[in-house]
Amino acid sequence: MDNQVFPNDDFILTPDTVFPEDKHIVTPEKPIIEFRGVSKTYQTGTHALKDVNIQIHPGEFVFVVGASGAGKSTFMKLIMREEKANTGDVLVNGYNLTKMPRKQIPMLRRTMGIVFQDFRLIPTMDVFDNVAFAMHVVGEKPNVIRREVAKALSQVGLGHKARSKPAELSGGEQQRVGLARALINKPKLLIADEPTGNVDPNMSYEIVEMLSRINQQGTTVLMVTHEHNLVRDFHHRVIMLEGGTIVADNAEGTI
Amino acid sequence: MKIQSVKYLTREGFRNVWVNRLMSIASIGVLVACMVLIGMALLITKNVDRTMQTLEQQNVVMVYFNDKNSVIYGENAVAPNASDATASDGGATETNDIPESAYLVHNEQEALAVCENLKKIANVTSVEFISSDEALKRAKETVLEGQAAAFEILEEENGNPMSHGAKITLQSMENFDATISAISATSGVDSVVSHGDLAKKISGIKSAINLICFWIIGILGIISLVIVSNTIRVTMYNRKLEISIMKAVGATDSFVRLPFIIEGMLLGVISALISEGLIYFCYRVAGETMSETFNTLIPFSEEALLLLGIFLAIGIFAGAVGSAFMISKYLKKEGSEFKAL
Ligand SMILES: Nc1ncnc2c1ncn2[C@@H]1O[C@H](COP(=O)(O)OP(=O)(O)OP(=O)(O)O)[C@@H](O)[C@H]1O
Ligand SMILES: [Mg+2]
Repeated sequence: MDNQVFPNDDFILTPDTVFPEDKHIVTPEKPIIEFRGVSKTYQTGTHALKDVNIQIHPGEFVFVVGASGAGKSTFMKLIMREEKANTGDVLVNGYNLTKMPRKQIPMLRRTMGIVFQDFRLIPTMDVFDNVAFAMHVVGEKPNVIRREVAKALSQVGLGHKARSKPAELSGGEQQRVGLARALINKPKLLIADEPTGNVDPNMSYEIVEMLSRINQQGTTVLMVTHEHNLVRDFHHRVIMLEGGTIVADNAEGTI
Repeated sequence: MKIQSVKYLTREGFRNVWVNRLMSIASIGVLVACMVLIGMALLITKNVDRTMQTLEQQNVVMVYFNDKNSVIYGENAVAPNASDATASDGGATETNDIPESAYLVHNEQEALAVCENLKKIANVTSVEFISSDEALKRAKETVLEGQAAAFEILEEENGNPMSHGAKITLQSMENFDATISAISATSGVDSVVSHGDLAKKISGIKSAINLICFWIIGILGIISLVIVSNTIRVTMYNRKLEISIMKAVGATDSFVRLPFIIEGMLLGVISALISEGLIYFCYRVAGETMSETFNTLIPFSEEALLLLGIFLAIGIFAGAVGSAFMISKYLKKEGSEFKAL
């Protein structure tokens, strides 16, 4: 059965199938995210993305910008396989998301950390459990969880708030909990759709600084933002979307 | 799934019952109501069954043999009196003139032989021979004061007026009519006295009550299932956020499902225990108030385990199946989406 549907398991990519042309090049050059002629049309008929081609390499920090309705969130949703492309291939962390069966989605998600604009913390759990939660999902042992969560919380400066409930924290603090949760399983890729949308400007800076530090330690970061000053002040690659197509792709924080 | 995960999710299931305690209390309440009704129905059936059984056991058939006295006094008494009226010159009744050929059972040996034949009939459990002397003795004992004299008059005239007979116990009421015909058709049997109609009515009532209780149990069982599904659906809706986060951090469908299933089962178990306690209490109160009229209620301890078993089965089944069903629907419908709430 399985063999008929996926004759070569070709949703899991080997270097050969991803880059037949650059077999000899060392792996760090292999993109962690690649869009090949990707279009997304919603059931309502909205063409959210049109023939998008892009490569993002491991270790990059990428801002995604554009007007409201440009397709930024759609772009992110395709990467986390919340939505599926109508045409083209989306390749992420070695998975071909357009060919991958639904059953594989949890495995894909475990290779990435996701930060949300609205934080998405579980209100009935305290800060510690909100972060630990992500480790329970992957079946970690309790003593490992205790150690790692304590470490992650002190990294985002919230070690002293471990037993607070999310409602007792400021927006910025909540987002740092969200960040700790996204990073707890040491993902290769961190994606964040407007992570600073609900926090004050000072906290925005702090959060992007944290993301930059994480990026320096090797995690690829992909972040949607509306805040031009962030893009200007943190010199990272900027991808600009407009009407569902990429209209600019600049290396160093210029729009 | 890893053992770590199972432990964690079991704890989560328990925590969910507490975190959503208002909803939990509501569904436990309805589940308990269903279970108590089911338990009542069951206990009523059981008690009716037992009462009926004792009535059925009293369903004994009396048989009178075709002997000299049955010819004179029995239901099927034939000619002698009529021929007497014409042939004799009235006055003395010449009962001793009845020829031996007019009846089939002439002595106790022959009566015992008939008993042996009666024993061979299917559905007959026991045959107790009652000689005419014994019958007279019993009749005198049971009959009211003044009427005893009537027997004495008869006795004085013709000796013991009673026929030989037998007390037959039937195994079941099912082939009652066929059994009675077989008994009547046995050579030497003169007449059969039974309370068959009463017995048949009783067994009719019994099956009606059983049927009603069966339907009550069935319908309430389905209601319990629906209620648990519904509770889980409501809590699912409340916990869309939680589920979306679970899926975002890479939880498999079964990982998302398990705490809900455990939550459902736990609600079932709690409801079962509460129901058992309530039923015990109600049954005792009922037993105490009724004891003046009926002191024959089955003791609760005899049915306690069965009831608890049924409650647990209903609760766990409704909990597990109801929540699994609900979540599968939800997982399919919402897929991996984690829309803003
Ligand atoms: N689930 C959906 N169903 C139908 N249409 C959708 C859906 N999600 C987005 N769209 C449409 O697709 C287009 C792109 O939406 P998208 O959310 O990607 O924009 P965005 O760049 O993230 O905008 P914003 O800056 O406001 O968040 C819009 O026209 C939007 O209305
Ligand atoms: Mg958006």
